[in-house]
Amino acid sequence: MKSLQIFEAALNGGPAPRIPIFCNLFEQGARELGMSQQQYYAKGEHVAVGQLKLRQRYGYDNVWSLFYVGREAELLGCREILYTEDGPPNVADFPIKSYDDIAKLEIPADITAHPLWAETAQCLQILQQEVGTTHPICAYITASTTLPAMLMGMDQWLELLLAGPVDVRDELLRKCSLFVQQEIAAYRAAGANVLVYSTPFGTTALLDRKRFNAIALPWMKADLTPGGVGNIVYLCGMAPFNNVITQVLDQLAIPVYYISPMADLAEAKALIGNRALTCGVIDDIKMIRWTPHQIRAEVRRLCEVGMVGRHFLFGTALMPLAVPEVAIRTMLEAAFEYGRYR
Amino acid sequence: MLNSFIKAYNEAVFETDKDAAFNAVNAALAVGIRAEDVVFKIVIPAVEEMMSSISQDPDANLAQHFMTAQIAAEVTEKMLEKFDHPPEIVGRVVIGTAHGDLHSLGKRIVMGCLKALMVEATDLGANVPAQRFVDEALAHDAQVIAVSAMMVHTAIGENGARKVRRLLRERGLEERIKLIVGGAPYRYDAELFQTVGADAWAADGVSAARTIIHLIEQVKHHEVVANL
Repeated sequence: MKSLQIFEAALNGGPAPRIPIFCNLFEQGARELGMSQQQYYAKGEHVAVGQLKLRQRYGYDNVWSLFYVGREAELLGCREILYTEDGPPNVADFPIKSYDDIAKLEIPADITAHPLWAETAQCLQILQQEVGTTHPICAYITASTTLPAMLMGMDQWLELLLAGPVDVRDELLRKCSLFVQQEIAAYRAAGANVLVYSTPFGTTALLDRKRFNAIALPWMKADLTPGGVGNIVYLCGMAPFNNVITQVLDQLAIPVYYISPMADLAEAKALIGNRALTCGVIDDIKMIRWTPHQIRAEVRRLCEVGMVGRHFLFGTALMPLAVPEVAIRTMLEAAFEYGRYR
Repeated sequence: MLNSFIKAYNEAVFETDKDAAFNAVNAALAVGIRAEDVVFKIVIPAVEEMMSSISQDPDANLAQHFMTAQIAAEVTEKMLEKFDHPPEIVGRVVIGTAHGDLHSLGKRIVMGCLKALMVEATDLGANVPAQRFVDEALAHDAQVIAVSAMMVHTAIGENGARKVRRLLRERGLEERIKLIVGGAPYRYDAELFQTVGADAWAADGVSAARTIIHLIEQVKHHEVVANL
């Protein structure tokens, strides 16, 4: 079976020889091509080739069309990205500096007409051409409740969200949600078939339950309803969200849940059951210092807990550049070994 | 009577309701409760209560941390203007985000709590070079350097807390200035702070304030012992 079929089997609970194995390597692509981060991310072609080479080198199942998370802020007016050679690029200019800027914020009528989108489209075109029928192609979409953190800074956004004028807050959320809806449609049209919906406010680790119900949930519905939830992955940064899984399943019917390494995977799996796909995620920050034995033991544990009843995927979190090559190989070897169905 | 204001203020903080918290404070002042008592009997116990509840309650959330700190800092600032005498400062800390890191939320939560707890905190801003942390700590006679980092490469990289530690060692300042780190990567690996040579870490901004006070006490104790 091809990787894409294995992913689909996991999604639907169908027969497959093994679980899908997702490995999220991003900045490693620049090293693979011998480029600086800034050079690498300047062209969609670089990102596509970097992704293909990394996948080929390690043999995991997925590729990514994501450049870096701040790319969405650039599509909405961010003019400066801080590049570094040892980590991901960072938003260095917030387009919203005062509440007045929220009124002025313009959502492009068609984000695919933006010059930066052309690079994303180029990346997706190459990925689609090379592995479109064989491998899952992932895209990253930041939820409308989180996007403002990239446009004005997390502390300014929390201040507005928790204690600011409600009409200003809602105007920003409405604009961000329109952007997210467009983005989802654009990624699907360009060939992405796994849409990772990053919604850190979709957990009570960030918001109290009252605000989760009153703000996060309705805006997630607004983001996702127009395009539907097909192949959407629920990701809350790396924050645990077990206590909202049932509610999200009932109300949004999202088909994939990327469980925090800090959460109880067995509990998550029990809550999700065969209603959706559960992703067991390794704590790849610990992988920086873990021995091969520790990595293998953790992969084994995740597989043993998650594979019961199928509907399971093994994945990584952010895979920092500091994770050694030997650790990546050890993790993947173990995932292919313990992720086999007997 | 004070108890009713304490209860109202605590409920407001728990509900992250800033207006209700200020209403409780203003109501207390209106019936003649002194600004000093508002800070020391209402605001500081509420911050301490939040510190305890965070360590015991797995459902405590970032919104609560943020608003606790913001409300406490704002109320304290307003009350200090009304104090008969300036309060005694517990100690001094310089705080900033690590070199290459532009995420300032954690730092802001810590600053808010420290202000309410009578710790003088100097905000060095974001993307702060290691050398500047040390220079500013000396310039402000700070007992603690606090480095916040939200990304793995800024948390463990050569130019962040690791370099601050190296500079403190090279300049013979390790007993005089303690180093604390905080931020998401340290939460995902509780042993990470040791690899960068920090004296301590905290899982969240509110608990960080308490840990910083412990470090200040350590430095002061060392000074007392050294002067014997």
